[in-house]
This record gives sequence, structure tokens and C-alpha cells, in this order.
Amino acid sequence: MRANRESSSLIFLTIVAALLLSLLPMPGLLEPLKPYWVALVMIYWTLETRAMLSLGLAFVVGLVLDTLSGSLMGMHALSLVVMVFLVQRFRSRLRFFPPWQQALSVLGLLVNDRIILIWITALLGEPMPTWQYWLPPLIGLAIWPWLFLLLDSLRARVRRHKT
Amino acid sequence: MANTESSGSSRWFGEEGARTARLMMYILLAIVLMSMDQRGHYVPKIRSTMEMAFEPVFYVVGWPARALRSLGQQSSERQELISQNRQLLKQLLDTAGSVQTQAALRQENQRLRHLLEATQGRAYSFKFAEMISVDLDPFSHKVWIDRGSLEGVFEGQAVIDGLGIVGQVENVLRHSSSVRLISDPDHALPVQINRTGLRTVAYGSGQTSHLLMPNVPLQADISPGDIIVTSGLGDRFPPGFPVGEVERVQRDGGETFARVYVRPFAALDRGREVLLIEQHVGADVEDVEEAEEP
Repeated sequence: MRANRESSSLIFLTIVAALLLSLLPMPGLLEPLKPYWVALVMIYWTLETRAMLSLGLAFVVGLVLDTLSGSLMGMHALSLVVMVFLVQRFRSRLRFFPPWQQALSVLGLLVNDRIILIWITALLGEPMPTWQYWLPPLIGLAIWPWLFLLLDSLRARVRRHKT
Repeated sequence: MANTESSGSSRWFGEEGARTARLMMYILLAIVLMSMDQRGHYVPKIRSTMEMAFEPVFYVVGWPARALRSLGQQSSERQELISQNRQLLKQLLDTAGSVQTQAALRQENQRLRHLLEATQGRAYSFKFAEMISVDLDPFSHKVWIDRGSLEGVFEGQAVIDGLGIVGQVENVLRHSSSVRLISDPDHALPVQINRTGLRTVAYGSGQTSHLLMPNVPLQADISPGDIIVTSGLGDRFPPGFPVGEVERVQRDGGETFARVYVRPFAALDRGREVLLIEQHVGADVEDVEEAEEP
């Protein structure tokens, strides 16, 4: 639970990578399957390192994502802020869940996020999205264990490198 | 609620409240930003400045797709390339043939306009551009193309592909610009039914499969298969360019208007190459064509 300087640069790098990944153009069929990379990375870091991820950072990252993806300014900021808040709130329990339960909680967070976004869509009077709108949380669920292991091993490598 | 935490709850109580307060503040800020962006005050300027800062990011992110494409081109079979070449030459000849008759028609049109002392006709030239990224956020349909202000692109410029209208340029950066597609839910395109001349507006539906024309009178003469073209009203899109084909006409007895679904011709999100239209008002057609010659 230390606030490490080494891991802060790793956190920055993984968030940047997540941002780039969310921009990466995919062939048409795969496009609706893109998971919410930035959210998954933010969830990981909020779970594993307490002091690092603040709501302010989540807000800023959300604004950057809004600019890069051309969506309504503040939309992803809202989504990430709510998500980070929830993870921080239930962190002590989530951390020690068995892996499958943790993955399900991540799914719950992602679906909750989709609900918030669809609520905004409805408020703005935009047309309702198709059933494919609900795929990314499922893909996120599938990716979560691998992402967790990957980030864990990266963190361990950084720690080993520094000692 | 904080008392359900097992350990250190008293230590956390104050922090809980502070955190919730901060969450509320951020949520409020996000909502304010969203409504400002929605209404178009202040935020679009912030957004375009940020987008300019992130321009290199788009370039970097597009790199894998570009690399793959050039790799694919490198490894194309020679035979495949030859036959593709032959096919394209044939297409070129075909279009060259129909363009010849067009030139004569244009001249006649210009003469008639001159005789009637009507306003001068327009000539068009086209600038080629390639799509570098597609964004189909349900709130906004736009694509980024690889031409920007340095290449003479301006805001509001009409964009077409080989088949029909694609959209209009929205945000112009130095080397790239964003094009809002006609399928964007906020986009309204003044159109005309080619067969009857009836003018109406085609709105984006948020899906690239169809556009909506919700203001066609119930009794209007319109049926599936009718071609829809731009009407030129509003001066954004030049008249006469194909938009799409009527797919379905929904007539409910109680309504004043029929609901028409139009399938757009352009490959809105699937295409790669587009053309930007430049209008030359009052220019002599021959001058424009001479300028186009290499």
C-alpha cells in the first residue's frame, strides 16, 4: 500500500496504452466488441494501489478519452469517476474476493457503466443503441483475468528491477 | 453505511463523506461539461484545441492499419493486380464516355443560363482524401480524413465517395479533418426526390443502414426504389448528388406525415477513399477543366 514512484510511471504508461488501444481502428465486425480498456486498467490500479488513483485523475483521464474518441465532453469523465468511486468504496471486499467473484464484480461495474451511458443517451434524446451495445462488458469480463495477470506481472517486474 | 466496513471504520468515516462529496462535485462538473458541449458553448473551442494537441496520437494509432494495408499491397499477386488494373481501366473508359456527353450538356446549360440572364452555373472540382479513422459512437458519426487546412480543406465542405454523399467537414486541423456523416443523428440533409422533384430533409438515424425522412406528406407520391438526391438548398451540399434510395414508406392513417426510410448509397463507414467537393461559382466550365489537366 505504499505510494511508489516507480509504479506511478507504470500506471501512467498502462493508462496511455489503454487510451491508445481504445482508439485503435478495428475491422468493421470487431468494432462493437471493443472492451472498455481504460476502465479495466483504472479498476485494476484502484484495487491494487490505494493512494494512487484519485477521482481527479479518473476525471482527467475521462476528459482525455472524450477528446480522443470525439464523444460528448464529460461523458467518459462521468463514467470513469463513478467507476473509480465504486471500486474505492468496496475495495476492501473486492480485493479479497476469489477470482471468479472479482471478475463478476468487474462485469457488474461495466454493466452499471453502460446503464449510466444509456441513461445519458435517453436524456439527450438520441436514438437507443442496438443489442451490440451490451457486448463490451462481456468482452471486458473475458479479458479481465488476463489483464489482471499481465498488470500484476508488470508490477512485479518493476518492483524486482528496483530492488 | 460506513459501519459495515470491518476494520478502521471510524478512521474512514470522515474520508467516506469527503469522498462522496468529491464524487458529487465531479459528477456535477461532468454534467455541466456535457450540457455545454451539447449546446455548443465554449466547449467546442476547448475540444478543438485539445484535438489539435492530440493530432500526433491519431497518426500513431492509425499506423498499424496503414502498415497492414501496405503489407497487403506488397504481397498482392501479380496476376491479381493485372486483372484489377484491367477492370479499372474499363471502368475509367466507361465513365469517360458518359463524361463527354456531360460536357456538352454543361455547355448548353451555361448558354441557356446566359441567355436567360440567370445566375451563373457552378463547376466542381474534386479533391481526393483517405479515411484514417472511423468513430461510430452512438452520439456522433464521424470519420477522420487525411487532408487538413494545409491542403485547402474548409469547414462545411461537402464530402462524397464514388457512390453518393458521405457528409460534411466539421473540424479542420492542419493535416487532418473530421467529417460528420449523414447518418449522424444530428445531421439534416436537404434532399429532393429525383423522380418528382419533391423537396424534403433526410435526417441521420444513428445507424449507417438508413436515413429518415419524417416530413414527407402522407399523400406524397413516393415509393420504394425512388432515388433521392441533394436539393442544394442551404448551400452546403451542391444539388444533384445522389444520396440514397427509398427502402420503405410507412404510412399510418392517423399521421399527417409518412415515414420514409432511405438506404444511403455511400459506403459511409466501410469506404476508404472519399472526394471533397470544391465549387467554383460563375467560373467558366472550360477554365475549371483546363486547370484540372495535369
